Amino acid sequence: MKKLLFILTAAIMFAGCSGQQKKDATAEEKNQKEESTPKIELANFNEKAGNYVDEIVAVNGIVDHVCKHGGKKLLLVSDEADLHVTSDERFSDDLMGSEVEVEGIVRELRIDEAYCIKMEEDNIASHKTGETDESLYERKQRQIEQYRDSMKTANVDHLSFYSLEYVAHNTIK
Amino acid sequence: MHRDIGFFFIGTSLIYGLSGIALNHLSDWNPNYSVEVQEFNTSLNLKKSPVIEKNILELMDEINYKGEYKKHYYPDKSTIKIFLDGGSSVLVNLDRGYGKAEFLKKRPVFYSVNYLHYNPNDWWMWFSDIFAGALILFAITSLFMVRGKKGIAGRGGVYAALGIIIPILFLLLH
Repeated sequence: MKKLLFILTAAIMFAGCSGQQKKDATAEEKNQKEESTPKIELANFNEKAGNYVDEIVAVNGIVDHVCKHGGKKLLLVSDEADLHVTSDERFSDDLMGSEVEVEGIVRELRIDEAYCIKMEEDNIASHKTGETDESLYERKQRQIEQYRDSMKTANVDHLSFYSLEYVAHNTIK
Repeated sequence: MHRDIGFFFIGTSLIYGLSGIALNHLSDWNPNYSVEVQEFNTSLNLKKSPVIEKNILELMDEINYKGEYKKHYYPDKSTIKIFLDGGSSVLVNLDRGYGKAEFLKKRPVFYSVNYLHYNPNDWWMWFSDIFAGALILFAITSLFMVRGKKGIAGRGGVYAALGIIIPILFLLLH
């Protein structure tokens, strides 16, 4: 029993110390990066994000909501645009309705004909095995068609959708 | 060991048991918040203007909201979304003056246990891994705790077999 208590106390102390170290390192890193991080207006994010793929940028916006399934996604909004921010750790629900500056890594989802073909094959396969119902199957098929139509209309061979992978944030008062 | 570790993890077992039930029924209820919806009509001008914040505060009085206004934005030309504290919000159609307020209130116990269930950070991830390891340990040590007719060689063995057969049957039949 004494051994067990000793191990637990040591584990809690170790966890406490390592947590503090991480916090301090993050604050220090933040100070160093603050000046060099490019800022993008949320309204121009989709236009400019292509120049910063896999790089850290800062974006201002209001947190519309935090995903209720796990809390690891949030939607940043403004009058002109919105942006999904994803994280490995859970966002606090208290952020909802707050204006924040989020620093994150720009990620690109590139959709081209190969992506559409793969998506179509997966959709047909999962429908055949009964994993997806008729309405979900139809919805996905329509989505694929929309991607193809958009590429045709814009006369491009791919579409790019951008999101932000969370690094840090500041709440703006 | 089974006994001492068992005592230690009573709290954690309750956390995962309660949140497990709550999150299993996500489609039936909001396990984190109770939601009160209020519909209303207003003649206040909530379109973009230098006095918009003053008008929003007047609206808060109209709908009898005593909390704090946080921010607002316009999702489209005819809608304003107003954020209040605690995750509550108000949507107003600017053309018709029709509005809908959603007042959220955290469910005292469920909010906290669900928060932990969703693995909020690395620290909790490691702690819950240890808890999961302890559950495996409990399962193994329980095999040797009771001897004789009530142990694994008798009635206990029948229960153990049933507990294994049920999930296997589910996997086969589903």
